Amino acid sequence: MTLMTNPLILKLERRDQLSDDEKRALENAIARIRVVEADEDIVREGDRPAESSLLLDGFAARYKIVSNGRRQISALHVPGDFLDLHSFLLKTMDHGVLALTTCRIATVPHATLEKITDEFPHLTRMLWLNTLIDGAIHREWLTAMGRLSATAHMAHLICELYLRLKTVGRAEGDTIQLPITQAELGDTLGLSTVHVNRVLQELRKEGLIRFQGDALTILDWERLKKVGEFTSTYLSLQNEDR
Amino acid sequence: MREITLQSLPVLADGGPHEGQLVLTDGHLVAVLTQVPAEETAGGERPAGGWHLEAGFGPCSDIMSITPPVFANLEEAVEWVRVRLEAGFAPS
Repeated sequence: MTLMTNPLILKLERRDQLSDDEKRALENAIARIRVVEADEDIVREGDRPAESSLLLDGFAARYKIVSNGRRQISALHVPGDFLDLHSFLLKTMDHGVLALTTCRIATVPHATLEKITDEFPHLTRMLWLNTLIDGAIHREWLTAMGRLSATAHMAHLICELYLRLKTVGRAEGDTIQLPITQAELGDTLGLSTVHVNRVLQELRKEGLIRFQGDALTILDWERLKKVGEFTSTYLSLQNEDR
Repeated sequence: MREITLQSLPVLADGGPHEGQLVLTDGHLVAVLTQVPAEETAGGERPAGGWHLEAGFGPCSDIMSITPPVFANLEEAVEWVRVRLEAGFAPS
C-alpha cells in the first residue's frame, strides 16, 4: 500500500502536518489487511482485541443491542476511521462494530501502537486527536438526537457524512456514495423506517438532496446546513499545530 | 379483557393525508394508526406497507413503549395495543 492510499493519513493530515517518519510509522504499523463482508461483526462486544482495526474501504457502525432486540447505532464509520483504537487502552469492548458494506480493514497490533506512543509523541497526540474527534461526534449526535426534529437530525447527519467522506477523498463534487438502508439510518437516528422514508422525502421535495441508487447528491448545501443547524467546528477540520 | 374499538378517520400525517384508525379502549383514545404504502416502509422489516403507529397514549405512548415495527394488518396492531394495555408497568 502506498502512502497516498491510506485514508487515515489523509484524515490526520487534514488537521496537522505529518512528517515522513510519522507517515512511515503509520504505514508500517499495518500487520495485515482483511475483508469483512456486510452484516458481519468486525469486533464483538466483550472481545479483548490484541489489535485495532483501521477502516480502509466501506462503511461500519458502532452499535449496541438492548433487551427488546432493538439496535442503536452510536457511530457511523467511513474510510480513515480507527474503529477500535480505544480497545488499545479500554481492553474489553463495551459494544460491537459491524460492517454495513463489504469492508477492507487494516489491523494494527496493540504492541505496535505501544511502540508508536513510546517513540512518536506528536503522532501519539494525533491519534489522541482522532479519538477526541470521535468523542466530539458523539456529543454532537447526542444533542441532535435529543433536541432536533427528525428532519433536522437527518440533515445534520448528511452534512457530517459529506464532510467526513470529502476529507478522505471519497466525495465526487457534491455527491457521496451512501450504501446504507433506511432501517440502518433508523437505527442510527433513533427513528422508525417510516419516519426515515418520510424525512428523506421531505428533504427531496424541498430540493435539498437527491438520491440515485446509493448516490446521494447535495443540491443546496447552505440550506441543508441551515435545516440541520450544522456547523463543522466539532470535526476539527482546520490544519494547525497540534 | 378490555374492549378495543376502531374508528376510521383520515390523518394528515407527515408526508400527507393517510387512511387512519383511531384505537379506543372503554371510550378512551389510546392510539392513532395510519395506513402506510410501500414507499414509506422501503428498506425496513415490512417493505410492502402496513399500519404504522402514528401516535400512542397512556400504555401505548413513547413514555412506556418504543415505536413498534409496522403492522401487517389491523388485527396485528390491535393485538399490540392489547398487550400494552395489559402489560402494567412494563416499559419496553
